[in-house]
Amino acid sequence: MQALFDDVGLVIALTGVLAAASAALLGSVLVVRGQAMLTDAVSHGVVFGIAATYLLTGAVSGPVQLLGAAAAGVLTVVLTQWLAASGRVRRDAATGLVFPALFAAGVVILSLFARDVHVDAHTVLLGEIGFVWLDQVPFLGLEVPRSTLVLAGVLLLDAAYVLAFWDRLVASSFDPLHAKLRGLRPGGVSLGLLVLMAVTAVAALDAVGVVLFVAFAIVPAVAARLLAGSMGGVAVMAVAAASAAAVAGYPLAVALDVSIGGTMALLTAVPLAAAAAWRLARARS
Amino acid sequence: MPLELDPTVVTVAAGAVLLGLTSGALGTFAVLRRQSLLGDVMSHAALPGVVGGYLVAGTRTLPAMLAGALVTGLAAAALAWTLHRRLRVKSEAALGAALGLGFALGVVLLSYVQRQPGAGSAGLETFLFGQAAATLRSDLVVLMVVAALCLGAVTIFFGELELATFDPTYARARGHSVELYDAALTGLLAVAVVIGLQLVGVVLMSALVVAPAVAARQFARSLRGMFWLAGGTGAACALTGALVSAASPGLATGPVVVLVASVVAGLALLVGPERGRSAEA
Amino acid sequence: MVTPGADLAPLVATDRLTVDYGEGPALRDVTLTVPGGVMGAVVGPNGAGKSTLLKSVLGLLTPRSGRALLLGDSPHRTRHRVGYVPQRSSVDWDFPADAQTVVTMGLYRGLGPFRRPGRRERERAMQALETVGMGHLAKRQIGRLSGGQQQRVFLARALVQDPELYLLDEPLAGVDAASEAAIIAVLRSERERGKTVLAVHHDLVSLGDYFDWVALVNVTLRAQGPTATTLSEEALADTYGGRVVLAARPDRPGVREEAAVAT
Repeated sequence: MQALFDDVGLVIALTGVLAAASAALLGSVLVVRGQAMLTDAVSHGVVFGIAATYLLTGAVSGPVQLLGAAAAGVLTVVLTQWLAASGRVRRDAATGLVFPALFAAGVVILSLFARDVHVDAHTVLLGEIGFVWLDQVPFLGLEVPRSTLVLAGVLLLDAAYVLAFWDRLVASSFDPLHAKLRGLRPGGVSLGLLVLMAVTAVAALDAVGVVLFVAFAIVPAVAARLLAGSMGGVAVMAVAAASAAAVAGYPLAVALDVSIGGTMALLTAVPLAAAAAWRLARARS
Repeated sequence: MPLELDPTVVTVAAGAVLLGLTSGALGTFAVLRRQSLLGDVMSHAALPGVVGGYLVAGTRTLPAMLAGALVTGLAAAALAWTLHRRLRVKSEAALGAALGLGFALGVVLLSYVQRQPGAGSAGLETFLFGQAAATLRSDLVVLMVVAALCLGAVTIFFGELELATFDPTYARARGHSVELYDAALTGLLAVAVVIGLQLVGVVLMSALVVAPAVAARQFARSLRGMFWLAGGTGAACALTGALVSAASPGLATGPVVVLVASVVAGLALLVGPERGRSAEA
Repeated sequence: MVTPGADLAPLVATDRLTVDYGEGPALRDVTLTVPGGVMGAVVGPNGAGKSTLLKSVLGLLTPRSGRALLLGDSPHRTRHRVGYVPQRSSVDWDFPADAQTVVTMGLYRGLGPFRRPGRRERERAMQALETVGMGHLAKRQIGRLSGGQQQRVFLARALVQDPELYLLDEPLAGVDAASEAAIIAVLRSERERGKTVLAVHHDLVSLGDYFDWVALVNVTLRAQGPTATTLSEEALADTYGGRVVLAARPDRPGVREEAAVAT
């Protein structure tokens, strides 16, 4: 069993799959709700949380960091809503103002105060999936890469949340007002989704970085939405497509000697192209 | 560290002013046409173009890389448009997909170049977060020409662009070719984004297009006023950020510039006069 | 079998309700009493506060003064027992779901975490769809339904709740004739079962045919009561502010119906 975790290639591929799958799972819900850009905003905003948490507590990983990330994710959304609601800024401009500001602040803090820690602007942006196997922790008698372990835990958490509240998610995605009237608490469901998105983004940062995370969250979901007739179908197909892209991405990146994370994310274009082609062909017939 | 008349600093300052002016001013139309997100897409998708331009030119020359950035940025916009129009993907999701894929391609190409022998590629990574000190004297010429062309074109056609932005239906009824103006403004947005990439980087450039315009909107009483106020604000923020970053090694320019611009926008929102509209629906 | 009449407690009532929308009152001092068991309508010009009234009664808006009572209690406590049928434009119909799924959402309330709607819920949804004449379209993607069909799906979603009260916001606006007939038939049948119906209605001409009780609203309440006696020339002129023309309907000679000409 330990041999599995000592195989660098396997670990990298596994980590990539876990990051891609959790991103795609939450991303598919957000895409169906018409909130695709929330993934972009939140995953950038968490960087501020990471920086602030480090500044305040010195923590570079662990539950404290995840908590800080969740708070920053929520802050991003709340600030954006508040700005848009003020009437002085349109919603798209509000989004384009708030999350870059928070992201920039986070990067500046990290550059000034976290120079010699592995959490730096470059890693945050691009991740370093090739190095995840370096940082190992004991788990159930095995030595397991920390990043992989955390991602596995986060994926389970995401899956549990989504399954537990599936119908509320669907109902509040389709008709939030009706859901509210029926006591389904769409606000609470949205908040939970937000928090999970932030936590997942932080967990995935080590592996793939902020922007590639966004690619995993949105592209497979868009592809799945072209094919599926139910929100569940979208989620399942998106997770499958994202995982496939991650699995195929590793050997391809090694063969071409290019960025692993980047290749994995780029390969999500394949299911998108396939879905688009199928859709266009059907429209013609 | 003396900053006064060091020629490098002057170059950096001049470059920052030029691109801040151009991006800020052109950002007026982006914000009014609700294209803030499109700007972000073009910015992230510019990365493969920057690398591609370097590969084609064989060396790190700004015109080649900016031309490449323009091409891939517009290609990403076209991808998003196709997804939205032909496949009925929601606009936000289409833009997000284009952004993610464009940037992923850029990351892959960047890593390819970095593993090639030769030191020329070392500077490419600065396009992620920007680097003021990378501005060359020769770059200033490019910036000046682009700024003059863009701002000049907008000034000449200001009336038509204003109408097409405010009320395209009416403009069409009056015989204006709104499609042409739309295309031109989208092209100008691409230029506004691309021109600042060396200074601010692909990740944060769109904020420099949005923030000055938002700040200007709070005080402007005409489109022309907003246009030039946004340009001035952009120039000031870019200049400040560039100088601060140039004086602090290890601090990339993009985040500093955007931080400054965001603070300015925030202040403008707090201090600006009430416009009495009801809350956004 | 309940006979509709004034002896039933009002299911919807407001007491001097005033609601603001920033630029002045949307509703001012409205005291409404909707008797139980009626097929009631709220009518008035555009922007007159009709939707505001409905939303206030559902507790979705906070009044500046006065209050609303729903099923005899505070709306927040009772609104889940109301079958609310909103305007079609309130949702984005480009959503991955079929008609049956949307109708089943009306039953989600009783389910806790990890509990999914089962066969029984899906069957009830099917029955509701059959009732509105959409059984054959149960598996159709909602984005491919016509406006009238979408409206019927919303009605079916309310039907599965088996509520005491139906609140509908312009259910017949922009709807084809077949859907209109189906919707009215279902509402009448529910009324026969003792339910109460209150709809914001967009059209004065069909008002008398469909509804036996009416409230005329234009920021304030101009009149309320049985349709036959409440729809007078004066009340209509007061509400719509224009000239009202009483005309005979060509298909029913000898019966005078009102047609309002709003200016």
